[in-house]
Amino acid sequence: CSFSFFSSWLPQMVPFRGSHWQTSLLAFRASLPMRAQPMKKKKKVDVKREQAQKDRLKKKIKKLEKAAPEMIPIEDFITPLKYSESNRVRSLPPLSFEETERRVLLLKKWCLFKQKQDKAEKKAIQTLVEAQQEALKELRLESEELYQAAIRRDEGLLPFERDGPNYTPPLPGYDPPEGKCIDITKVYTQ
Amino acid sequence: TAAAPRPWRLFGAMCLLRLPRITQPLEKEEEEMAALMGQIELEKSHYSDHEIRRLEEEEQLRRRKESMYDDDDEAPGKTVIMAQDLEDKWEQKLLQFKAAPRITDADKNNNRTSLNRKLDSNLMLLVKQKLGNQELWLLPQVEWQPGETLRSTAERAMATFLGDHIQAKILGNAPYGIYKYKFPRAIRTEDNVGAKVFFFKAFLQSSDFSQAELKEDYLWVTKDELGDYLKSEYLKKVNRFLLD
Repeated sequence: CSFSFFSSWLPQMVPFRGSHWQTSLLAFRASLPMRAQPMKKKKKVDVKREQAQKDRLKKKIKKLEKAAPEMIPIEDFITPLKYSESNRVRSLPPLSFEETERRVLLLKKWCLFKQKQDKAEKKAIQTLVEAQQEALKELRLESEELYQAAIRRDEGLLPFERDGPNYTPPLPGYDPPEGKCIDITKVYTQ
Repeated sequence: TAAAPRPWRLFGAMCLLRLPRITQPLEKEEEEMAALMGQIELEKSHYSDHEIRRLEEEEQLRRRKESMYDDDDEAPGKTVIMAQDLEDKWEQKLLQFKAAPRITDADKNNNRTSLNRKLDSNLMLLVKQKLGNQELWLLPQVEWQPGETLRSTAERAMATFLGDHIQAKILGNAPYGIYKYKFPRAIRTEDNVGAKVFFFKAFLQSSDFSQAELKEDYLWVTKDELGDYLKSEYLKKVNRFLLD
């Protein structure tokens, strides 16, 4: 066997094992095949056990799915605790009587102002609709075909997007400062 | 009588609007209310981190001034950036920035042909057109030809006066208003009683007019200034479909 090569290579006489299964020279020569038990017939029982395990797992998954999904917390509604400490409370002088009176009167004026504004807007929309109805009526008198073309829906109109007006017009040749915006919002999955 | 031709001639006109670029100035009540809202918000709020830092530093400064001897041994030569310094720095930076003026040069010269005027209101295109033997200021209009819808007539009117490179968003297929007028008796015939002008509205998208070849006189005016140029009956009908 291969170990004879070793015995010729070593300078001294070293006791060597007959096979690599023999762990020590003085012990009982028991190789692995001898230590093993006779091979069991595991096929059918194994299959049954594996199937039983799979069924159990599937039942667990179904139970988890049936349970109601956990609500995603709305971060805006949860006040972080550090903001309810007492040292945070602002200390301002109490409002005088004149100040409260002024505020109440201002709120009433505002209410009236907004009501007038709303009424004016509604009236303007009403005249707009009336003018359009009149135009369509006249068009119908003219020709049915043009009328049908006019009342057709315009697909390209919606969705309509427009950037709102700013406070100052855009500055020509403005170079905005460099910077990178890193988004750290937490994303929850259900 | 569907077979007999109608005696009205049809025109399609386009009301091209340049939308406002800046916000309108606030009314007095709006300004007062905005100030009140700010005050209430301040009263109801708590201190922020920055404010707490500033208050603590002010406390420290005050204590240091009262007892000058003890604190000289602590923190020698350690420069700490105070919150107040930060605020001053930010203030300086804001003052250095100069925004574009809300009232442009065209406003000051009252140059009604430029688009840079009255940035906070809608501007409409008016063109001088010859009708019959009169030269009138009108919204650009063109006669309808059989075979096209009225919306395409209006588009053609816009293209005739401003060229093909204009990007405008026409708001729908239906006309917004109508102006009906009868021809003067001299021209009126059995078949040609008068004309109906159908108005369409569009928003101007592109803002550069370098390629536009405008042959006739044109103006960009606001709703209030329309009265200077349009005839009263025409103006009445036009005002009905214009929101301020």
